[in-house]
Amino acid sequence: MDPRIDLNKIDAKIKLMKQAAEELNQIGENFPALARNTVRILASVKMLEINVSDLVELDS
Amino acid sequence: MTESIYWNPVLETMPREKIRELQLKKFRKIFQWAYDRSKFHRKLYDDAGITPRDIRSFEDIRRVPTVEKSMMRDIQGKDPFPYGDALCVPLEEVTIFRQTSGTTGQPVYQPDTWQDWEWWMECWSYILWAQGYRPRDRVFIPFGYNIFVAFWAGHYAAEKIGCEVIPGGVLDTKARILKIQELRATAMMGTPTYILGMAETARTKMDIDPSQLTIGRITCAGECGASIPSTKKRLEDAWNAKVFDHAGATEIGAWSFECTEQPGGMHVNEALFLVEIEDVETGEIIENPGRRGKMIITALDRQAQPCVRFDSKDVIEWAAEPCACGRTARLIKGGVVGRADDITKVKGVLLAPSAIEEVVRSVDGLGDEYEVIVDKVGDAERIQLKVEVLDEEPNQDQCRLIETELADQLRLKTNLRYDIEIFGCETLPRYEVKAKRFKDLRKSKEDK
Repeated sequence: MDPRIDLNKIDAKIKLMKQAAEELNQIGENFPALARNTVRILASVKMLEINVSDLVELDS
Repeated sequence: MTESIYWNPVLETMPREKIRELQLKKFRKIFQWAYDRSKFHRKLYDDAGITPRDIRSFEDIRRVPTVEKSMMRDIQGKDPFPYGDALCVPLEEVTIFRQTSGTTGQPVYQPDTWQDWEWWMECWSYILWAQGYRPRDRVFIPFGYNIFVAFWAGHYAAEKIGCEVIPGGVLDTKARILKIQELRATAMMGTPTYILGMAETARTKMDIDPSQLTIGRITCAGECGASIPSTKKRLEDAWNAKVFDHAGATEIGAWSFECTEQPGGMHVNEALFLVEIEDVETGEIIENPGRRGKMIITALDRQAQPCVRFDSKDVIEWAAEPCACGRTARLIKGGVVGRADDITKVKGVLLAPSAIEEVVRSVDGLGDEYEVIVDKVGDAERIQLKVEVLDEEPNQDQCRLIETELADQLRLKTNLRYDIEIFGCETLPRYEVKAKRFKDLRKSKEDK
């Protein structure tokens, strides 16, 4: 694997993105544009988890 | 900096033991998910006396009952309508409806959430990247965008990886060919049947040589053809393009792909799917190369209607050698070689329709279409094979030569004799998507 790829660092940033998207989603109850767009962002974040975080979790 | 040949350089090259560890962990998760949220799955597992706590190893996974398509048919049409008890999310979270093509019976409905749909695109992104699609590609998609999943996810994955995508939806075949020519599309996706049909239309009805167009790569799905060497060669020669196979299914996902090395098989995306091969006779799980069996598959991340140990009926076999591309996921030799429910006994001999295709498409002078009819006359079973020559008026001498060659090759390949009929070109039916070239009339006679 390319030594420049630091999975732990990437995973930490994914977690931050997820947290931000979840917080925005929660305050979007009466703000459909916020709620629905963050649902889509969270689905993309899940793909990052599948690609990176699930593997990091395996090692932790 | 050199461009990665892998969509995910970490997952696609990790050691085998790590892949297995990841699969076990993810299987436990999806099993727990299905057990907690789907009445259908919970009943199935409770009846078998197995709970999430019992899953500690791959041996434990083998005790989990398989799910067949007929079981999914039975639960549908009920609440939560129309999906029934296998739905694992609130109905309002379902964003996409698809259904199976109905090739093997009543279509099965497939609900997906937006996350599931992202996952579909992710599966396809692995495929397209491995087959050399890059942002500079202009991808033409000649399919009828409708209720079947077909190339929908291929379309969106191509967008995701940065390609320019041209949806060829409602255009007819001629208009699609003209659009490919006009926009100089570099890649396309379709069933082998349709891609061959497009080439024939271009040549015979439009005076366009498809090999002179700009298509450089083609991704096939929906039929075995692109993994059958003689069919692949016809496709590649017709379009002067590299042709790659891929296998997927509505209720599973896009689970395998041929890479640019074209190693004579397809990679299973083992970070996203758990594939087991089961001996059809004994039920034993086949771990080693050299034996064919039917595929039992789990989609490790699909949530709305989970796919846990689904009995796909696809017949596959592990390849012995790893691929030169460096991917560590296992290869299946020769792709999907048939379906367990297509392989039938004729005159006491097991016959796989794909073996007939391999022979027909390898004979020079024959067109791409053929039809096989298995029938019973009195007590005797017979196989009729209808083929086409390239000319409108078949030449008798040429027909005799072709018939002899076909009969010899078929006997070698399948150990059976055929009643061969040779027709002029464009006599046999043409198919737009999946072809139905194999007809077993014995079954309909038994039903009467």
